[in-house]
Amino acid sequence: MRQAGTYSGIGSGKTGPHLLPLARIKKIMKRSGEEVKMISGESPIVFSKACELFIKELTQRSWMLTIKGKTRTLSKQDVASAVMATDLFDFLLNLVSDSD
Amino acid sequence: MVDEQNRTLPIANVGRIMKQILPPSAKLSLEAKQRMQECATEFISFVTSEASDKCHRENRKMMTGDDICRALSALGLDNYAGAIVRYLHKYREAERERVIASQNKATSSSRDEDIEESDQSGQPSLQADETPTPLMNIFI
Repeated sequence: MRQAGTYSGIGSGKTGPHLLPLARIKKIMKRSGEEVKMISGESPIVFSKACELFIKELTQRSWMLTIKGKTRTLSKQDVASAVMATDLFDFLLNLVSDSD
Repeated sequence: MVDEQNRTLPIANVGRIMKQILPPSAKLSLEAKQRMQECATEFISFVTSEASDKCHRENRKMMTGDDICRALSALGLDNYAGAIVRYLHKYREAERERVIASQNKATSSSRDEDIEESDQSGQPSLQADETPTPLMNIFI
């Protein structure tokens, strides 16, 4: 697996490394609606970065709650609590409250 | 793990990204990773829907990186939008350089094509006699 990190391979003649598989991102995009028909080649690449930022932010917020609880294990509940505490993540409320 | 039949982002990749931001001593439960995997997948769907609606309203058929940036802003995720706009700019620059480099390579030596890995952007290899475009678009 390639080294994770900043987009340092940018001038090397390849479009990688990406932290998330582009083909999988494309599949998820296609499944998000009937109207999603044509997607430019750069779209999954943009999402690869956007998801990375999203995951990092939600992880950081979750971890802040983990350490408040004086444990060192980030739990599913910490993720749910971070979603509930963040207005921007309201679109996830159903997702985190369903399977508890 | 089948990652729910490929309906979500792979848990290994998600876990790796999470670990990048956590201190080395932090532990991460499997369920937390699964939860994050679902959330990130939903994030893609949510933003894609918004971008797709806009394209549809404007009678455009193809969703671009710019549409995704605009959707991020529209959904209140301005901090991501700014970073992504810069990232997209860098990516396009790199693509232009790559195209120019492969053109030069093709004209100065025998025609060895760059082999693209199948899990990359899905962009076809450039032939030396094609008119290069900065962005190769794919139709799904």
